[in-house]
Amino acid sequence: MKLFKTKLCVAVLGLASVVAQAEIAVVVHPSNAAAVDGTSLSRIFLGKAKNFSGGGQAVAINQAESSPITEEFNSKVLKKSGSQLKAYWSKLVFTGKGTPPKALSSDAEVISFVSSNPNSIGYVDAASVTGAVKVVGKY
Amino acid sequence: MKKILTVAILAALGTAPSYTLADTRINGFASVAAGSVVDGDESLFGYDKGVSFKEESLFALQVSSDLGEGLSATAQILSRGSNDFATEFEWAYLSYEINDSTQINAGKLRIPFYRYSDFLDVGYAYTWARPPQTVYSLVFSTFDGLSIVNNHTIGDWDSTVQAIYGSYEGEVDLLSEEDPATLDNMFGVNWTLTYDWFTARAVYMQANTSISFENNPDPDQTLNNGIALVGGIYPEAADSLTVEDDLGSFFGLGFSVDYNNILIDAEFTTVEVENSIVAKQEQYYVSVGYRFDTFTVYAITEHSEDTNEDTYSSNLPVTLDIPNYGTVYPQGTYQALLASQEEEIDAFTVGVRYNFHPAAALKFDYTAFDTLVPSTSSESVESSVFSVGVDLVF
Repeated sequence: MKLFKTKLCVAVLGLASVVAQAEIAVVVHPSNAAAVDGTSLSRIFLGKAKNFSGGGQAVAINQAESSPITEEFNSKVLKKSGSQLKAYWSKLVFTGKGTPPKALSSDAEVISFVSSNPNSIGYVDAASVTGAVKVVGKY
Repeated sequence: MKKILTVAILAALGTAPSYTLADTRINGFASVAAGSVVDGDESLFGYDKGVSFKEESLFALQVSSDLGEGLSATAQILSRGSNDFATEFEWAYLSYEINDSTQINAGKLRIPFYRYSDFLDVGYAYTWARPPQTVYSLVFSTFDGLSIVNNHTIGDWDSTVQAIYGSYEGEVDLLSEEDPATLDNMFGVNWTLTYDWFTARAVYMQANTSISFENNPDPDQTLNNGIALVGGIYPEAADSLTVEDDLGSFFGLGFSVDYNNILIDAEFTTVEVENSIVAKQEQYYVSVGYRFDTFTVYAITEHSEDTNEDTYSSNLPVTLDIPNYGTVYPQGTYQALLASQEEEIDAFTVGVRYNFHPAAALKFDYTAFDTLVPSTSSESVESSVFSVGVDLVF
């Protein structure tokens, strides 16, 4: 519904081409040398993998559930809708088998967190990336 | 350890945000459902004629505290409408992560009979209004003990092995819905394999089972008197009917597909209690569904058969004259008692789930049951329920 409204506004403004969805940059600490492909990224964010391919512990950082960047990450990388993802985590949370990644509320917070936590991995709008973090993939 | 390190680093940097220190999480889920028997006279899922909002409504809160170094404590408090919203601890356990792939839980836990056992009460987590009840028929769902879970990968497959050990003391529904029972020395193993869109699961469990018949709702107490009558003369025969420290076993196979919005689920289970009047129960369901964006439609077909093999009655005489009493029929009585436990159910369900909100789902469900109890009638009894419910998580 929200998406529909957004689309409607944009169409009304005649800016449809600009809305084209944002590109997502997956970011890690600059010292992190691990290669992260789509599959391992999805496994880390679904709590199925707890380490980077190189062996170091991986701490995933989400953004707020309702943010457009999260919705896009969910559909492009995790290939699940918000509801499906919520159902997925309910199964783990209420059975003591896992907890969803912590969520931060903006690109800036993710970048700040990732730049000071060598084992973390997050995602931001590619336009927000700064030199403080390293981009390991774009979606 | 790593978490403590992170906190220490953040604290040192003077940027410790509150969430790393807030190690207690509160989550919850709730269901509010209304249903009614729309056809037939038998009650089903607790519903009768007339709309009830209580039978399948529930509220739950879960508090989980991370104590660091892999140790955590979790309690889930649940109020069921069917239990007048009395508050109970549904789960209460300590968890310890031995390493990244293995976790031990100790305390009050869910018995992992079925594929959806662990989150039976969390309606939001599955498509249906309720898991297929002919298969999900064992009403006792928690035990006290230990569970160890190991997750690993086999090539492209995710593999989860869980082993449990413990006991249950409470009620089962054999004769009434509240027959006092104990399951001792309960242990079991289940193995789940997942490859992207495909999941398969196998489970085996067993326990030394005792069930008391003291709550038999039958006003004539046919079963209790029958066992007493047969047992007065043939103690061994009575022994083969009562449920006292008899080996109960559970076996199940299941699989699920979630491919291109096509959903398929199936489970087959058997329940048996050796050397007792408890019938051998075999049941299965097959569910197919299709996901249209925020709507999911589903249909389920179910079948269950409770049969009691008679390996003993040939040891008993057909008739026996008891002085000053008359003639009794030990063999026929024994056979009738076994037969009284036989039952066959066919069920069919259609339903729809609508994700109208990011954290809530609306479900409409129509389920028809067709129950045949050969010992009482050659005709089956039909009953169907229509229900509407909202499931949410928070």
